[in-house]
Amino acid sequence: MVANLLNMIEKILLAHSDSDTKTVSPGDIVNVSVDRVMLLDIAGLHPELINNPPKEAFDRSKLAIIFDHFAPAPNIEMAIGTSKIRKLAHKLGVNDFYDYGRAGISHAFAAERGWLLPGRIIANTDSHSIAAGAYNMLSRGLGTPELLQVICTGRTWFIVGETVNIELNGSMQSPTESKDVFLKLAGEIGDLPNENIEFSGEGIGQMTMDQRSVVSTMCAELSVEFAIFPYDKVLKSYLKNRAESYFRPVRPDEHTEYSRYYSFDMRDIPPMVALPDSVSRNTKPVSELGNIPVDQCVIGSCANGRIEDLESAARILKGRKVHRDTRLIVTPATPEIYRNAERLGYIGEIIDAGGMVTNPTCGSCMGGHMGILADGETAITSTTRNFRGRMGSREAKIYMASSATVAASAIKGYVADPSEFLGGAFS
Amino acid sequence: MKRVITGRAWVFGDNINTDLMYPHICYTLPEGERPKYTMWANRPGWPEIVSRGDILVAGKNFGLGSSRPAASNLLGVGISAVIAESLNGLFLRNAVNVGLPAVSSQVIRSMVTEGDLIEIDLTEGNFRNLSTGGSVAFRSLPEFLMDVIDAGGIIEILKRSGCLDTEAL
Repeated sequence: MVANLLNMIEKILLAHSDSDTKTVSPGDIVNVSVDRVMLLDIAGLHPELINNPPKEAFDRSKLAIIFDHFAPAPNIEMAIGTSKIRKLAHKLGVNDFYDYGRAGISHAFAAERGWLLPGRIIANTDSHSIAAGAYNMLSRGLGTPELLQVICTGRTWFIVGETVNIELNGSMQSPTESKDVFLKLAGEIGDLPNENIEFSGEGIGQMTMDQRSVVSTMCAELSVEFAIFPYDKVLKSYLKNRAESYFRPVRPDEHTEYSRYYSFDMRDIPPMVALPDSVSRNTKPVSELGNIPVDQCVIGSCANGRIEDLESAARILKGRKVHRDTRLIVTPATPEIYRNAERLGYIGEIIDAGGMVTNPTCGSCMGGHMGILADGETAITSTTRNFRGRMGSREAKIYMASSATVAASAIKGYVADPSEFLGGAFS
Repeated sequence: MKRVITGRAWVFGDNINTDLMYPHICYTLPEGERPKYTMWANRPGWPEIVSRGDILVAGKNFGLGSSRPAASNLLGVGISAVIAESLNGLFLRNAVNVGLPAVSSQVIRSMVTEGDLIEIDLTEGNFRNLSTGGSVAFRSLPEFLMDVIDAGGIIEILKRSGCLDTEAL
């Protein structure tokens, strides 16, 4: 590998590095400045923050505090924790403080606000911060103790990993969604701990920012350090009139080499499902699953609480009813998504079908509130994780699929292929 | 922090995730109660049989998952170090930042049976199974991460540097 050819991730790390070095390569540790910091409500449950809060922020205009995980407080512990974070917001003089009802899930909200900009690094505690990779930038989960350091200093560190290239070609065929694309590649590639992913290929140009964000968000489940998409017309157009500042996109150097190469033709990917307890190397086409009755169906999360998810659900649910033996919970990611879904009629169609639409929050994805599973129950969800015990009981089973598959399953009462309702290439 | 850690081994498989180490119920429990639920779904009762100083040995991709304080639960149970075939990057950060040494060696699980007395030399990057006599080298953590571990975690370093208030919120 030629040392001075850099990929996108290496270029962003180098541009933020405090060292005079002109290049970075796998194995290096880089100390970097960050462009923004996001602290979440969940930090209120961390005694180290409550007992020893930062005296001041390195730059309060770059710090946002967002209540998303347990919004609004479902129990007294969270109520107390968030009351202390409100104090912290006041003490640090943070203008970007978003209480219940004002932001929704940080990753989706940050995009709406034009904070996710090409070339940037953002620090956030949440493990799905990698969502920002869709915007040609870097972010990853850091943990609350480490975020204290970032709030104080504006700096953190990363170990430069090997980078694999995943080429996405062709365009998805209805009713396949980008969640299915992710589940296909998670099934085939498996975990990549300490490595990075750069996406390439002509298929990306056909993907909306929502679709790219689903894939980048879910890359956390492959255990990677960073995942990143290229800058192109679709991203440029999304950022027009939205970007909070000037930005500098990155492109990989020509002839940059990657540690491995994968290629997927999105035309061939049918609706997919992840089986319970893990995502990577644990997925198959919905059509091969057999009859799995479901007690609860969930659409939501930073990955799939987006307007396109609500649209997809509404399209399938319109004029139909959720099966009497199951229940459907839909959690939009942000108030803006909720409002748009209402304006476009999706909320009404979901409610008319017997689905429940909750306020924006991480909600049942992390088993915090808004739909906890009982012993022996089975769920299908378009949220981010299917780990054992994730959504409640350790004796519950969680299948993961696209929002279309979840909506189809809600009507049928068992895990169902959305092709049954939408026809298309795989029916 | 001792740089050479000796303890009895507990062996876990691949893909032990943060939700197993720190089930959601821990979020709302008093801090001292949280470690009791470590591995609640996959190995109930485990925290009660761990002795202070034991070492956790695991397979691939240890610590996949969320930024929840999973490493703090392991410390709370009494675990003194983790050595896995591979480690999730976020788990590594969280472990180091609360003062829990976590290192990786691709062959570790083939060298340890549960209950073996094992030794991890963090400075030399050397693993020894004192029960079997086997040994293998691993890549040491970078020195600046060892400094964080030696200090007992990032909060201690920040306290010393005067960045944090001593008065609680």
